[in-house]
Amino acid sequence: MDAIRDLKKYTCDVLVVGGGMAGCFAAIKARQKGADVILIDKGYVGKSGQSPYAGSFMVFNPQWGHDLGAWMEQINRISEYVNNREWTQLTLIQSYERYLDLVSWGVRFHANDKGEPVRFPAPSGVTEQLRFEENKHGDYVQILRRQAIKVGVRIMDRIMLTELLKSKGRIVGGMAISVDEPILYVFQAAATILCVGACGIKPAAYPPIVQLTGDGEAMAYRSGAEILGKEFVDVHISRRDIPAGIPNMLGRKQTIPPGLEGLQGPRRGGHLFNAEGNPLPPRPEGASRYMFTYLETEFEVHAGRGPITTDAPDGLKEMTGGACLGMSLRKADGLWPADLEGRSTLPGLFAAGDALGTMQNGSAYALTGSAIASSAVTGTLAGEAAAWEATQMVERDIPLAEIERAQLYVLEPIKRKGGFSPQWVTQLLQNTLMPYFVSYIKRADRLEAILSLVMYFQEQLVPKIFARDLHELRLAHETKNMVLSAEMRLRSALYRTESRGNHFREDYPHRNDPEWLAWVKIRLTDGRMELCKVGIPAAWYPDLNKPYSERYPYRFPGE
Amino acid sequence: MAVESINSQRCNGCGICVQSCPADVLRMDGERKKVVIRYPDECVVCCWCIAECPTDAIVLTPTRYNRIFTSWG
Ligand SMILES: Cc1cc2nc3c(=O)[nH]c(=O)nc-3n(C[C@H](O)[C@H](O)[C@H](O)COP(=O)(O)OP(=O)(O)OC[C@H]3O[C@@H](n4cnc5c(N)ncnc54)[C@H](O)[C@@H]3O)c2cc1C
Ligand code: SF4
Ligand code: SF4
Repeated sequence: MDAIRDLKKYTCDVLVVGGGMAGCFAAIKARQKGADVILIDKGYVGKSGQSPYAGSFMVFNPQWGHDLGAWMEQINRISEYVNNREWTQLTLIQSYERYLDLVSWGVRFHANDKGEPVRFPAPSGVTEQLRFEENKHGDYVQILRRQAIKVGVRIMDRIMLTELLKSKGRIVGGMAISVDEPILYVFQAAATILCVGACGIKPAAYPPIVQLTGDGEAMAYRSGAEILGKEFVDVHISRRDIPAGIPNMLGRKQTIPPGLEGLQGPRRGGHLFNAEGNPLPPRPEGASRYMFTYLETEFEVHAGRGPITTDAPDGLKEMTGGACLGMSLRKADGLWPADLEGRSTLPGLFAAGDALGTMQNGSAYALTGSAIASSAVTGTLAGEAAAWEATQMVERDIPLAEIERAQLYVLEPIKRKGGFSPQWVTQLLQNTLMPYFVSYIKRADRLEAILSLVMYFQEQLVPKIFARDLHELRLAHETKNMVLSAEMRLRSALYRTESRGNHFREDYPHRNDPEWLAWVKIRLTDGRMELCKVGIPAAWYPDLNKPYSERYPYRFPGE
Repeated sequence: MAVESINSQRCNGCGICVQSCPADVLRMDGERKKVVIRYPDECVVCCWCIAECPTDAIVLTPTRYNRIFTSWG
């Protein structure tokens, strides 16, 4: 066992946690506003998280003939009206400036002979996106890393933020662990920005989210921040034989090593067939590809028409669900935004990127390329606002008692002599949530049954997780956070008694506009998880005089 | 196991794969200046390491075994 002997303290104006698109933008922009910035990542800034995998970047630019009203109309409809229109619009409007930033830092996009960016139409509709140029010597996130270093951001890799530190109701930094050295890190900051990405439970089929375990949400929730969007699941499917269906990753290597060809995911454009040999129904005009194509496979399997196969030309053809188990629809879940500058409801704490619940795509992914663009936009907003806050007379001191409290919590698993391994608890959680009838086709009785199991994990297993070394200490905290996130997911799914977008309830298969043009907010109250409904502004309602079938082109089974 | 072995003749100890691995599978053996597979069970076959290794020292197979599920662990 590695005994943790030392406590190292670092002071800065702005602490940025996570170095993907959001974290790099936040750090660079805060630094450019004069703040002293530390950027930490549990992996390696420039290689970790989902950012290195993104291919398309949505850019809205009126000079290219883009019409804001038409784009918004399309997004509102596909996202089934619960998108936060303020955030959707802000992402669109600021995307062009962020594109210009990227270009000025050396990121290249597909261009035509005249050097103009090639604009690719996004599926079904008016919106467009640009594509990152294939970069053989590293990817664009490594360009962001170099830019951050150039402007004077202090980068620390392989450091996991594990607990937030609070003083007089304000977040004043955080405590972190390293997998390499037996040291506890204390970061003292006037503002902390969580850019920790999405939240999954380490599904085998989606390596990009293996280190994205909901740490941000869990830390923020424990400290009193509010969370939303946990009921809208990500529904990606994968091929049964490929543990890692990620074609863009191997694309880096010029030739795929022999024997590994099968690791390439299903070719885009392959059609899906049920066991009776019939193609899955075509996507209704105006429904989200990310909702329809994938959720539909779960329905087919539920009806007894699995396995589902693809006619993609290479490799084994059988598909399976749960590729991104534990993850929400992009930008749905995360910290509840208190304003349009990335502030959470806790003073001193900001979030950006996938860690911020902007709800810009509502309940179904409406705008391809907007996830990565939004990470740039929200990173910028949070970075600049945090830098401004650091110029104010805010609380910065961390009381000794608070450090001692956090230290007890962070080191608890490694101090235990026995208990349960984090690997086993993670596996248990995966097995519990993986079946299609738990995570995708939901019903009150099943959700309650699974929730009672997850509460057993929470109350009986999590406190007894033990770590034999620093690697396992990281796993222990990841596992604790994933169990908490599972509880949030199940409770939100139970609470939302309707179906909408990527949330399907077998016992409530309709959208219920009178009741549910609303978001579900979660917070910790008196030691318990409390949920409440927050209505969207009435001005954003769909035209309720229109027939249901016009408001919603896609029918759920059982409607 | 997914990441099978490191060819220590080829490995030049540059450490690039250690940075790239999202699951903390690979570690540098400081004395030998060679990479070692420390936590093979955690490998998610993401292929970062083989994509970046300048000397093609890492052997990876697409096979991935799940841990055996036990009543406690
Ligand atoms: C295969 C694939 C293809 C995609 N394609 C597209 C696309 O074409 N267009 C698009 O718009 N979007 C796409 N996306 C989605 C997009 O990549 C993400 O929405 C976006 O990258 C999120 O950026 P981020 O900075 O918020 O988070 P991430 O890039 O995920 O970064 C989060 C970082 O936080 C770190 N971290 C996590 N927890 C901690 C902790 N406790 N302490 C310290 N650090 C921590 C992680 O190591 C990671 O580096 C794709 C995603 C994948 C996986
Ligand atoms: S990248 Fe290759 S050469 Fe470098 S340390 Fe890893 S195995 Fe060795
Ligand atoms: S394939 Fe990925 S997870 Fe496995 S050792 Fe290589 S970098 Fe690590």
